[in-house]
Amino acid sequence: MKDITLNIDGKICKGTEGDTILEVARSNDVYIPTLCFLEGLTPIGSCRMCVVEVENNPKMMTACTTPAQDGMVVSTGTEKLRDYRRQMLELIFAGRNHFCMYCSQSGDCELQDMAIAHGMDRVRYPYLYADFENDATHRDIQIDHNRCILCLRCIRVCAEKVGTHTLDLQKRGWNATIVTDLGRKLGESSTCTTCGACAQVCPTGTITLREFAYRGRRKDCDSVVESVCPLCSVGCRIKAYVRTGSIARVEGTAVNEPDGGQLCQKGRWTLPRSAERERISVPMIREGSHYREATWEEALDLVAKQFRKAHEADSDGVLVSSLCTDEELGLFVSLFKDGLGMERIDTFDGDVLRGFVKGFEPFRKQGVRPFTAAHKILDSDCIVNLSADPDEEAPVIASYIRVGVLRNGASLVNISCSPSPFRDITDVDAVTKTPAENIRLIEGLAGMVEALKATGGDPEKTVQVTAAEVAEKAGLTEEMVVKILGSLMDSKKPVFVLGGCLSRDPATVAASVNLAIACGAFFDDGIGMVPLVVSGNSLGTINTVLADEPWLGKKKLDFMYVYSTGLVPEDEASLSAISGSRFVVVQCPFWAHPLVNLADVLLPAPAWFERSGHYCTIEGERRRLSVVIPPKGEVRGLASVLKDLSKDLGVTPEKPKEAPCGNLFASEKPPAAARMVSLEEVRD
Amino acid sequence: MSKVKVATVWLEACAGCHMSFLDIDERIVELLEKIEIVYSPIVDGKKIPKATVGVIDGALGNDEEAHLAKEMRKQCDIIVAWGDCAVFGGINCMRNFSDRECALKEAYVDSPSTVNPEGVIPREDIPHLLPKAIPVDYEVDVDVYVPGCPPDADTILWVFQELLEGRIPKVPSEKMRYD
Repeated sequence: MKDITLNIDGKICKGTEGDTILEVARSNDVYIPTLCFLEGLTPIGSCRMCVVEVENNPKMMTACTTPAQDGMVVSTGTEKLRDYRRQMLELIFAGRNHFCMYCSQSGDCELQDMAIAHGMDRVRYPYLYADFENDATHRDIQIDHNRCILCLRCIRVCAEKVGTHTLDLQKRGWNATIVTDLGRKLGESSTCTTCGACAQVCPTGTITLREFAYRGRRKDCDSVVESVCPLCSVGCRIKAYVRTGSIARVEGTAVNEPDGGQLCQKGRWTLPRSAERERISVPMIREGSHYREATWEEALDLVAKQFRKAHEADSDGVLVSSLCTDEELGLFVSLFKDGLGMERIDTFDGDVLRGFVKGFEPFRKQGVRPFTAAHKILDSDCIVNLSADPDEEAPVIASYIRVGVLRNGASLVNISCSPSPFRDITDVDAVTKTPAENIRLIEGLAGMVEALKATGGDPEKTVQVTAAEVAEKAGLTEEMVVKILGSLMDSKKPVFVLGGCLSRDPATVAASVNLAIACGAFFDDGIGMVPLVVSGNSLGTINTVLADEPWLGKKKLDFMYVYSTGLVPEDEASLSAISGSRFVVVQCPFWAHPLVNLADVLLPAPAWFERSGHYCTIEGERRRLSVVIPPKGEVRGLASVLKDLSKDLGVTPEKPKEAPCGNLFASEKPPAAARMVSLEEVRD
Repeated sequence: MSKVKVATVWLEACAGCHMSFLDIDERIVELLEKIEIVYSPIVDGKKIPKATVGVIDGALGNDEEAHLAKEMRKQCDIIVAWGDCAVFGGINCMRNFSDRECALKEAYVDSPSTVNPEGVIPREDIPHLLPKAIPVDYEVDVDVYVPGCPPDADTILWVFQELLEGRIPKVPSEKMRYD
């Protein structure tokens, strides 16, 4: 890339060929006003606020879309430009209902800020007073078209980052409006995922989230804390706005992140709503059918007494949430595993994780990292969905897949026991009847791709297996197998998204990695696998609390300690195993039913917004969870509670060892060095 | 030196702008050493006398308000539009998105707090609604625009001080607000 130099308002500004005038200006701290522009989205130059004058050019140019050229002399703030910008603003104000005094976003509005900055003390154009619809059909998101300035940020974020294309534009000129699903109401949309990205980018009061509309303007909030969403393995970065000690809204960080600064429907709503949930604020001890309040001392004494007894009888177990931070997991390990020598410690989604760990193990042993950062899906030209349902498991992954297919032109292959969750955009939808057929298909495909690659892609020369044979074993048509092969062989960089359900059979996981290796799915950080490992810090549990073999439910235990973050419901199997234990201690921030009903002792715990620490995300990064609001009342941090408990138990736990996922993202060899392995090896 | 004569009128608006004017608090004493309020909702006056500065608070929603605005323009040298209603039309413009009859029906018949079984809409002996509520400068020329709902007391005072210095002020961005 060639370096270029521009003169902007007399300042010498360096840039790179291909930059726009706006990019060069911003990187050199020259301010140019913008309204429709939003970093990370395709610039469209529709609002004309960023107009600049370029020497020897009679026209004004939009800085956000005009490529910068070497030697350009640019003026950004002449009287002519200021006047022109003000006229644009006045036209916008005259066009629709932009009367600030009855708008929920007044004071939190980019249009208002811009007009005030341009000294707009009146509107010189006649108002149109055109009446548009206020679409209030959706439970959470409202679109008041009367406030719309047609900047199209919402349409762009919906298409470019979320990939649902729910929003688009209809009609022309003054009558143009944002439209949902070719004319449906938003509440009736079949494509909207309720992620709220459109409202996050809306510069005016057009698209608002009911829940946050009157809870405080962003500017009026006391603090904005950057943290991480604990709900799924993607671990999106979030900004939590705090006002008078409560969370006023939660937003994604910035659109220039790979995830587009979006939050999914889970993060957007679960996080702020959880701050309103009823808390367990003091320790409680069960007495018959109800709980009575107790002091920490009394509660922990009772816990220690029961624990010690059960521990001596080797009848104790510990179950902790995989939404715990690395630091919290370290504390559990140092007390229960290292201190007490317990083996019965696990996380709720242990079975899913063990499957992935076992399936990945032979490849990890080879010194390669068997998975890649989730956003690499965006770099792939062929996305293979292996029994995943990303919109349920990790919705931002679903966005990556949709954007990969619709924007980047990747093909989408579904290999699963159920039809593709991306029905309308799937190129090949291979649905096998049974999991056994599914693994045979993956295994067969790996063999065929390997053979085809070895023979230079000539199917005639493929000797070992034929498509017909694979089809027969998988219960599919030969045509289907040939189609999948075609997609895989045409792809330079396929990526495989592994659903959590697959991991129950480690052989399927290993077979999938084999297929990825055969296809040459190599990314700079690892093999092109994206395992949907359930929750925020599932990866962090791997070297810590995750048990080697499942034990839960195998034996009726005398004592069970359960640590839950109360954010995701516990699975049936865990709940039934917990309820089968004689004495149950539940430490949880919220009255999370039905879990809390099973407890003999309830201990308060800090909620996600009261804790800090780190998560290992499938984005390939350790991300920091920060304290948004300090804990109140009797809520105590885990470290201090476990310290007291260990004292009562008479053990001195050592300091937690290395960071739990310290070596998880490491690899000795490049992914291309990976070899396929025999599935028998995994099955044993 | 004689005091500068100021007239203020409250048209289609809430009392917010005049309240905001009173929010200049004790500084009003000093201001009143320099100006004389000759006509205003807060003084007694039946007719608009000649004045140097005429302040109009509120939009024009009926023919009486339009008439008063014209009277102000005739009697005053400098017209100041105070507040969002006078400058942009403000909240009164809510009725502009439907027609006049609709607004009358809503106000006199349909609103939940109204008891009017005969559905009578008064039309005689009261000012007639204009087809639309309009900003002041749709009807008369305005010299100074002070947007805000209401404008800050400090901004209102600043505008008077500038006028007393003989300047026609333009509210700068840092003193401007719309809500």
